[in-house]
Amino acid sequence: MTPASTPLLAIRGLRAAYGKIEALKGVDVAINAGEIVALIGANGAGKSTLMMTIFGKPRARSGQILYEGRDITDVPTHEIAHLRIAQSPEGRRIFPRMSVAENLQMGADATECTDAEREATLERVFTLFPRLKERYVQRGGTLSGGEQQMLAIGRALMSRPRLLMLDEPSLGLAPLIARQIFDAIRTLNRQDGLTVLIVEQNANHALKLAHRGYVMVNGLITLAGTGAELLQRPEIRAAYLEGGRHG
Amino acid sequence: MTAIPHETTKARRTAGIPFLLKTAFINALIALVLFSLMIGIRTEAGSDGQLTYWTRFGDLASIVAAVFGGSIVIELLRQWIGPTGAEKLVPPSVQSGMSFIGRYVAPALLIFTLLVPVIFYDQRYILDLAILVLTYVMLGWGLNVVVGLAGLLDLGYVAFYAVGAYSYALLATNFGWSFWVCLPLAGILAAFWGMLLGFPVLRLRGDYLAIVTLAFGEIIRLVIINWQSLTGGPNGVSGIPRPTFFGIPLDNSDDGLAAKLGIEYSPTHRIVFLFYLILALALLTNWVTIRLRRLPIGRAWEALREDEVACRALGINTTTTKLTAFATGAMFGGFAGAFFATRQGFISPESFTFQESALVLAIVVLGGMGSQLGVALAALAMIGGFELFRSLETYRMLVFGMAMVLIMIWRPRGLIGHRAPTVYLTKANAISSDLVKEGHG
Repeated sequence: MTPASTPLLAIRGLRAAYGKIEALKGVDVAINAGEIVALIGANGAGKSTLMMTIFGKPRARSGQILYEGRDITDVPTHEIAHLRIAQSPEGRRIFPRMSVAENLQMGADATECTDAEREATLERVFTLFPRLKERYVQRGGTLSGGEQQMLAIGRALMSRPRLLMLDEPSLGLAPLIARQIFDAIRTLNRQDGLTVLIVEQNANHALKLAHRGYVMVNGLITLAGTGAELLQRPEIRAAYLEGGRHG
Repeated sequence: MTAIPHETTKARRTAGIPFLLKTAFINALIALVLFSLMIGIRTEAGSDGQLTYWTRFGDLASIVAAVFGGSIVIELLRQWIGPTGAEKLVPPSVQSGMSFIGRYVAPALLIFTLLVPVIFYDQRYILDLAILVLTYVMLGWGLNVVVGLAGLLDLGYVAFYAVGAYSYALLATNFGWSFWVCLPLAGILAAFWGMLLGFPVLRLRGDYLAIVTLAFGEIIRLVIINWQSLTGGPNGVSGIPRPTFFGIPLDNSDDGLAAKLGIEYSPTHRIVFLFYLILALALLTNWVTIRLRRLPIGRAWEALREDEVACRALGINTTTTKLTAFATGAMFGGFAGAFFATRQGFISPESFTFQESALVLAIVVLGGMGSQLGVALAALAMIGGFELFRSLETYRMLVFGMAMVLIMIWRPRGLIGHRAPTVYLTKANAISSDLVKEGHG
């Protein structure tokens, strides 16, 4: 993948903090249109904070977030979703008492789209995750963990995003279900040209899926490269693969 | 999903006795601490105004013993017929029958309500009670928007009821405006105050929100008491005009409705008119709420109740969502207040105490937060039940408290716990809360 002249999302020198604790200490990340980019790192490295800061919660202390060349650093959180950036947050955060149908509709409510577009997107979500169609009238809270993750991704897709950000989509899922989720992400990228930023603990899976990857340690990007390159790096293997989960 | 509650019920039953005794002992201890001063020692002013006191340790001991025994009984009840075992107690055939009945309860109830003035035309007491019940149904439906749908715990709902009542009373007595002009104004003013309350509490949730709204309710009441020049203070506002049938008064005069229709005048006409007026207002509340639930704003309210962070990530402006919920709920409270003022003809701050807020909130919670039919049934049970137990005099509250505790044990999600989905693929398919309990993947 050759990097385009202007990346879809460019983050420059981003700093963010919770009170006095600095979680991001000057992060530079670029995501080109049509790419899958993986962000890996240990617990507390600042991966989720980076995703949340793109959405303006917490606000960046300094640095810049450019989306399609436009500075969105200070855009209110609820307006960012209207720019066709969607996220599936950590812990899935579906609406448990609302039905699967309503959860999906919530994703579509944020953006102005015609009924036909909405129906088409819904069909697309059902092709990717047929389980959601079976569970359409059921309450979100009654779904299994894997189905809830599918719902969270489906809900994000309903806003017809250009950039999809996924925070730990494989968290707490059985390996088989996690593979289904990763397959769906790959399909979305290949067939629909969706740009994806994926934050993962499961470095092996994420780096195999991604075109490029960033490694984050203590609020800083320490390594960057293509997925295959990073998988071969001895320090990555030691820190995230051999010491931790085996693929 | 179904096997798990079964197992836990078993486990709870076998691990019973030490747990039972421990709970009962703790409850008895709490009772001892609470009642030692309230019941153990009795103080009174003596003949010369000095303080005399004597002890009643016998009474205290019997109360503590009653609490000890009572908590064992309640715990046993909870374990044997509590919610975890409830699914097995009801056979599937009965359940399907229940859902069949459930589909026809609301229309049947509505038809019956429409016929109440016909059936009970000569019974003024029942008509008055029905009007009272409908007022609380409307208040319950109004608060349901804030508490049931948006999940914002509001303990000061009576403030908007008061704003609506005083808006109508003052506009009508000072400027002589008619009820039909003042009604929307009362709603708008209440909605405005709802927004005003909404702004400072945007960042609050749960307990903190409850405390601030509670204070807001009290502030409004105290302002009404102390702003004597405008509101008449504790003396209230009297001589509030009665509602007219679109300009035609419902009295014994030559211009009255009875005279115009050429029928004999009866004071019941006005009562019947008030009945249909509050019924129309309540149905309007219900209709608007049902419509709003199917629109993005209504869905956003419910999503806000479920998960605020997820809402923001989905591009929902939580500020406006909360404010519209407060304003919509307050507006219906204001309508109900205006009706209350025109019905009573006299209002004073005494009608707008915290007890009213608590009562309306109890109706919403008892009805099953978010369920329209549940709220209506709960209002009927609460207000009607209050009247039913009138002969019990001071024990009324006790009976009532017991009934509420029992209902909350048996139906912890309210009388009607299920919520109907608002988005369908092909056909409506309500899911019973008994079958699908919350949140365990």
